[in-house]
Amino acid sequence: MSRDFDFIVIGGGHNGLTAAAWLAKAGRRVLLLEARQTLGGSAATEELFPGFHFNTAAPDAGLLAPQVAAELGLHKHGLDFVASQAAAFAPLAGGRGLTLWRDAERSAMEIAAFSAADAKAFLPFHRRTRRFAAVLAKMAALQPFALKSNSLRTLAGWARLALSLRALGGRDMMEFLRVLPMGAAHYLNEHFESDALKGLLAYASTVGLMQGPRASGTAFMLLYQQMGADNGAYRSSLLPRGGVGRLSTALAAAAQAHGAELRTGTPVAAILCEDGRAAGVRLASGEEVRAGAVLSSADPRRTFLSLVGGPQLGPRFSRRLRSLKLRGSTASVHLALSGLPEFPAAAGDPSRLDGAIVISPSLDYAEQAYDDAKHGRIARRPVLEARIPSLLDAGLAPQGQHTLSILFRYAPHQLAEGDWDAERERLGDLAVDTLTQHAPNLKSLISDRHTITPLDYERDYGLSGGGEMHGQMGLDQLLLMRPTPGFIGYRSPIDSLYVCGAGAHPGGGVTGLPGLLAARQAAKEGYAKQT
Amino acid sequence: MAKRYDAIVIGGGHNGLVNAAYLSRAGLKTLVLEQRHVLGGATVSEEIYPGFKFSVFSYVVSLMRPEIIRELQLVRHGLTMLPLESTITPLPDGRYIYRGPDSAATFRSISQFSTRDAEAYREYSYAMYHMAKAVKYILGIRPPDPTSFHPRELLALLKLGKHFLSLGEENIYTLVKLMTMSSADFLEEWFETDPLVATLSASGIIGTFLGPRSPGSAYVLLHHYMGEIDGVFRAWGFARGGTGGVAEAIASAARGLGAELRTDAPVAEVRTRNGRATGVVLADGEEIEAGLVVSSLDPKLTFLKLVDPEQLPSDLVGAVRNFDTYGSSGKVNLALDAAPDLSCLPGDGPHLRGAISISPSVAYIERAYDDAKYGRFSKQPYIDIILPSMIDPDMAPPGKHVMSCFVQYAPYQLAEGTWDEQREAFGVAVVDTLAEYIPNLKDIILHRQVLSPWDIEQTIGLSSGNIFQGELSLSQLFFLRPAPGYAQYRTPIHGYYQCGSATHPGGGISGAPGKLAAMEILKDLRK
Repeated sequence: MSRDFDFIVIGGGHNGLTAAAWLAKAGRRVLLLEARQTLGGSAATEELFPGFHFNTAAPDAGLLAPQVAAELGLHKHGLDFVASQAAAFAPLAGGRGLTLWRDAERSAMEIAAFSAADAKAFLPFHRRTRRFAAVLAKMAALQPFALKSNSLRTLAGWARLALSLRALGGRDMMEFLRVLPMGAAHYLNEHFESDALKGLLAYASTVGLMQGPRASGTAFMLLYQQMGADNGAYRSSLLPRGGVGRLSTALAAAAQAHGAELRTGTPVAAILCEDGRAAGVRLASGEEVRAGAVLSSADPRRTFLSLVGGPQLGPRFSRRLRSLKLRGSTASVHLALSGLPEFPAAAGDPSRLDGAIVISPSLDYAEQAYDDAKHGRIARRPVLEARIPSLLDAGLAPQGQHTLSILFRYAPHQLAEGDWDAERERLGDLAVDTLTQHAPNLKSLISDRHTITPLDYERDYGLSGGGEMHGQMGLDQLLLMRPTPGFIGYRSPIDSLYVCGAGAHPGGGVTGLPGLLAARQAAKEGYAKQT
Repeated sequence: MAKRYDAIVIGGGHNGLVNAAYLSRAGLKTLVLEQRHVLGGATVSEEIYPGFKFSVFSYVVSLMRPEIIRELQLVRHGLTMLPLESTITPLPDGRYIYRGPDSAATFRSISQFSTRDAEAYREYSYAMYHMAKAVKYILGIRPPDPTSFHPRELLALLKLGKHFLSLGEENIYTLVKLMTMSSADFLEEWFETDPLVATLSASGIIGTFLGPRSPGSAYVLLHHYMGEIDGVFRAWGFARGGTGGVAEAIASAARGLGAELRTDAPVAEVRTRNGRATGVVLADGEEIEAGLVVSSLDPKLTFLKLVDPEQLPSDLVGAVRNFDTYGSSGKVNLALDAAPDLSCLPGDGPHLRGAISISPSVAYIERAYDDAKYGRFSKQPYIDIILPSMIDPDMAPPGKHVMSCFVQYAPYQLAEGTWDEQREAFGVAVVDTLAEYIPNLKDIILHRQVLSPWDIEQTIGLSSGNIFQGELSLSQLFFLRPAPGYAQYRTPIHGYYQCGSATHPGGGISGAPGKLAAMEILKDLRK
């Protein structure tokens, strides 16, 4: 059988690029195909307005697994990070504000203004959170293993998992098992009394989930969002200098340095299957390219139902793909600003604004925003996470000007009434109005605005259902259930076709792990070695 | 100080009685102390209106462990189960969904909405039956301690792992889904008819502070299916004489085995000496000595009220304080002058001998939950109705009826006002909602009893009114129930045990916690 490449990787998001770079480094002939003109997928920085560069989907790369950067030598290829001083800043009604710093002790002092008891509880909470997040990071980096297998590798996997749990010690291990399935609201209520602190901390617990902070399993997400960098018990957030897209550029450079071929503006129309195995792809242009194996970083529904399709998937697998919960619930609003907005609650200290600016003043506020989305409405009082990355990285905007990006929750992909094309600007207005309540001069600074709805994320960024995690990360879609039950380890019912995107273990967020682990799995199984 | 007992069981609910029966059966001189004038706890029948007998709190039985019925010879002691096999879900547009023992009738009813669903319903029932069977093993074992390196615990864990793997891959996935998903999501993988999903998903919210779209509710759904096994009861059952009939049978068995049962005997304190329980002090000051004391009350009472928490490890006290016992359901009991008439299916019929479920859509139940999340009772609640007098004519005078309405949601803590102020408004909301489906209802009500979670707490002592003595959430099940490290029915105080629904396997009239605790106690005594 003729073959043009050993591996074809579909999708040039950070996971596709990671897989391509790793396989190329391992000496394989790799072709990566990206539908859009720019690489990066959801880890992209785009010049939406002349001179203004925005992180259009992922706001940072805080969850990037250190082993990805190390194995691929990304720092050699231009990756370096800027670090904020603030982890998060919550402007509140009445001009008050709560800042959580990277430095947890400094945060505790801020919290004391709201509750002395909470200030005291914060440091132990922070330490325990770090221990738990470290276990999750270990679990995330494990090659997934089958439920039942006699191979030594599988046993070793289970053993490592059990040991990392046991290493927590009896008390912490029980606590870890107890906390993971909890609702973040319940968990935070056990530790703290201040609405402002609980609302702010709960923000990270529903990232990428169509759930409010009361939902079981959101405590897991709270911890997951803190894997990696220490960010003072808040969502990890490292920003590549030049924007999130710089990570993708570095990955692309690494891939190319090892000989991978990267083609942008090249949408894939179908995955070619012959005798139950993937043999290559057919491009939208009609051209066919053949390879020993195909890795798709597109979401599982797109990969299988659109690109493979047909009866070869089998009824059970097809049913599972249709049951996959994508449920995008995040929109974003990007503003070009002529100057820095003033938040009275930041008391003239711009360093408070260099992390996430979060509007989530209480658990009930966040829950009510979710209630709207649950019933198919855009949240009337939305939860927002705003970033001003140009504060830390002046190159992102023209001299003296700024970029401000807002993640808007909750915006359901499926609206009960109306459609997204009609609602887009209304959502943009709502985001700006909500933020303006805390930064009165904001509106007067806006020179341009670009709003991306969940439908736009589906149409333009290829995220089925607008689902930013390629399958939302509830407990029912993790580990051996991800992407669907029965296909553990990046495999699929189609031989030599792998899933290497966020839909696979360990899931969403800019970690690079699905790409890395899928590449290892594919290389190990040796399809490319056949002739 | 008069008598000395081998064992004192605090609380005469069904678990306390089961526990006492098993201890007596093993030869222990056992005393049960119940604070109220009647035995049964939440498993009680009372005449609250002349001539009308109500299952005041708990109203259906299906989880009762068959081995307990057998071993305690409960049938000989008067337990008679009457089947309660159908559910009708009336809809606002005048249609209804009927599910009953006649599978052809069920098929026809669901087919009117979707033939695909009618077919899927059979498969679904079969799958749930299998899942209930798969977890049955877990209901019968003492939870192992996953942190211990003791060979006994490691062996138990190994056995559990083997059992889990023996279910086969597909069943494991289904089990994981049931443990983690929302009941609506789980059911939508099977069905497309929203009212069918809604009425089935309601089993996933009963007694919990969750909506049908809240992850975790699928487990509660499974929990309610666990009764449909072993062929002892078919589906839900109803005890002759009301649920009090169950308590009376167990009480009779316990007495027959030598136990002494005292009512009107509230316990104020458990006496301890040198870290050992030595007896109890009643509210009136009477002291009773015993070799061991078992509490069937919830952990807040067991650890924070009956003993001085100062003598307990701080991690246990912290865990018990955090133990979620938030009550979310209420009960409205009605004495009726005549039979109710459903507008969707007027007149008498088998549907009046089953459950009537007010659960017209998933969004309806979610909205009811939304009210409760912020401290309001549901204006349009989910209601699960049965008419015990239709099944057991002794429950009401001839031609008249008792109607038991389980209502969700009624939050323990109201955002505004107290339950004393809001109770009747809640009752009105329930009757108004019912009247939309039962037009003659308001004309035939002779008496209305409204019970909020607060009333449940005040009357039978369940902290915050939680009917399971604690939420059935993943973080409060199995080896985490009621607290990590204290799931094996023991407490840090020697000779002081727990046997209520807050211990594994949890709430519902199963008797399992009472029995499993007795087995652990007897194991300790043999040492």
